Amino acid sequence: MRSPTLPAASDSVVEATVLPRLIRLGPNLCVAAFTLMKLLPARFMLDRAEQRGELAPDTTVLETSSGTFALGLAMVCRLRGYPLVIVGDPAIDPALRRRLGELGARVEICTEPSPRGGFQQARLDRLEELRAVYPNHYVPGQYDNPDNPNAYAAVAEQIAETIGAVDCLVGPVGSGGSTGGTAAFLRLPQPHMRLIGVDTSPSAIFGQTDGPRIVRGLGNSLVPPNVSHAAYDEVHWTGPAEVVRATRELHARHALYMGPTSGASFLVARWYAERNPDAQVVAFLPDEGHRYQDSVYRDEWLAERGLLDGPAATVPRTVTDPGDAVGGWARMEWRRRSLDDALRGAAARPGPVPVPVPAPVSVSVSGEQ
Amino acid sequence: MTTAPSGTAVRIRGTHQSVGHHGEILQGVFESDGRLRRALITLPCPLYESHAVFEPSDTSTGVTVLDPWRTKAGRAAELALRTLGGPLTGGTLGLTSNIPPSRGFGSSTADVVAAIGAVYDAAGHRPSPAQYAALAVAAETASDALMYAHRAVLFAHREGEVIEELGGPLMPLAVVGFGTSEDSTGTDTLALPPARYSVWEIEAFRPLLGAARRAVRTGDVALLGRVATASARLNQRHLPVPGLTELLRITEAVGAAGLQVAHSGDVAGLLFDPDLPDLATRTDHARKRLADLGIGDSWYFTTKN
Repeated sequence: MRSPTLPAASDSVVEATVLPRLIRLGPNLCVAAFTLMKLLPARFMLDRAEQRGELAPDTTVLETSSGTFALGLAMVCRLRGYPLVIVGDPAIDPALRRRLGELGARVEICTEPSPRGGFQQARLDRLEELRAVYPNHYVPGQYDNPDNPNAYAAVAEQIAETIGAVDCLVGPVGSGGSTGGTAAFLRLPQPHMRLIGVDTSPSAIFGQTDGPRIVRGLGNSLVPPNVSHAAYDEVHWTGPAEVVRATRELHARHALYMGPTSGASFLVARWYAERNPDAQVVAFLPDEGHRYQDSVYRDEWLAERGLLDGPAATVPRTVTDPGDAVGGWARMEWRRRSLDDALRGAAARPGPVPVPVPAPVSVSVSGEQ
Repeated sequence: MTTAPSGTAVRIRGTHQSVGHHGEILQGVFESDGRLRRALITLPCPLYESHAVFEPSDTSTGVTVLDPWRTKAGRAAELALRTLGGPLTGGTLGLTSNIPPSRGFGSSTADVVAAIGAVYDAAGHRPSPAQYAALAVAAETASDALMYAHRAVLFAHREGEVIEELGGPLMPLAVVGFGTSEDSTGTDTLALPPARYSVWEIEAFRPLLGAARRAVRTGDVALLGRVATASARLNQRHLPVPGLTELLRITEAVGAAGLQVAHSGDVAGLLFDPDLPDLATRTDHARKRLADLGIGDSWYFTTKN
């Protein structure tokens, strides 16, 4: 066998791991498996800010995040020498907090949720205060910075070159950057490409009333401006039981050790690929499983929450109103509508009135990206 | 190369020919070596050719062009002579071309490429594509990738450099071409200010280039057609093609792989896979649909590698 041509060494771990590995799991199902997806928008946003002259060597980077975007930013800022302050909430786990500290980031925790918008809003309020504390600052703002979706052109290029035409893209929706950004680029040559957004309930992103969630990294208490609702053909709300089962299967069957957002994405993509054998499906898997060793990957943790052997749906319920999607796995034909139009369509439909959202199974953390 | 006796000295007459092109499959800005460069992928058009003949002269220095208005070709021949650095000192350049000017067929670049080739031929040399490109850009500010003929390259037309080899020759394509401006007078390519692309557009060229690489590597006409259509859509904000929506409707109705436009000219083409069993039916249909739209003048050609 001919030995492959070895590429040159990368300049940093960011350069080496910023793009996903494209892995075929079936004849019409490919996954884009990221080590840490948020490295991509973190790097791109800082690149663009540098080009615009918004970052000097002593500029402090301020951002609110309790998840992987904080880690992506901390890695890029450490390598480029920018001081970083992260505003998080109690959902930030101790291991991540230690990693951020090791990378030189200052982490502030909001201990009280805001009456409106919960911890997400409390973090945004604290960020506003910090702008005055650090006059020389730059806020990447992943939820409303258009450079977040723009960052995904690099992934669209990789997919277009490696896979060619894609009929359906599936991915979890947090900030709206990865799914909305990639779809906009892939639709240039392929305008009919279907985009399926994966959320969980209760989550505000696609029109539900916010509430506590079990699965971390999925769902949001606010609607990020970067979520372009009219980009989605279909939305799925996945339940915790299906998500953890799919995450474990992804590992046990395909040896892909990924986090629960990846499991949710895989669950929906596999369902769609099986029902549409002629459609080439690509699913985003945003991060690896190491952060979840003591939760999703530990049987005791699952058993305590009734998620180990409890019932898990194998197909989604189809709903026409986001309010009806609370609980287990449900899907809705979104049909590239705005949030208002989709909700108006739901309200105009004869049938059950949307019910108030009950809290799901007992909950220990409120997870947000 | 032809030799012709003239008195006692033997003078060598140099000849060269270059095809025209049919605009671009993809044009935009692309990151290369950490900076953004304007570049394009050319669609060659063998319907049209420019032939150059260079007659060296022992007595003259410099180039006399038989058609004095062909100043760019004359300049290119002068530059070629200077680059060769002898033994030729001058001569006469004659050009015959059937390429309509100013329509996006690359008439001046074809003249320039033919002229450079003829001078080199007279000196017994053959320039590399990179030498052609450098001389062509020096002679006319920007150049198309005609010197690369059927090799698929991403070409920085204002610098005369290949940014990237796409991984093989351009696959054969069947093209129904037509003009998109009402009076068919075309556009002065170089008088156009370079397009100012938005941040999103600049990023959008990445996946289109990725798709083009795959299309060339795998011979996927359908995918290349999609790239051409997408590039035409992006160009619409910068140099609008009249009736683009209608043209896209026709593209779909006749089952063409894509719609390709000259990004700084007025020709456009419906791209087809030349191996389609019902190609003739489809191209007939396409010409009828174009005629219904008031586009009576259309032409057909195939590219080969």
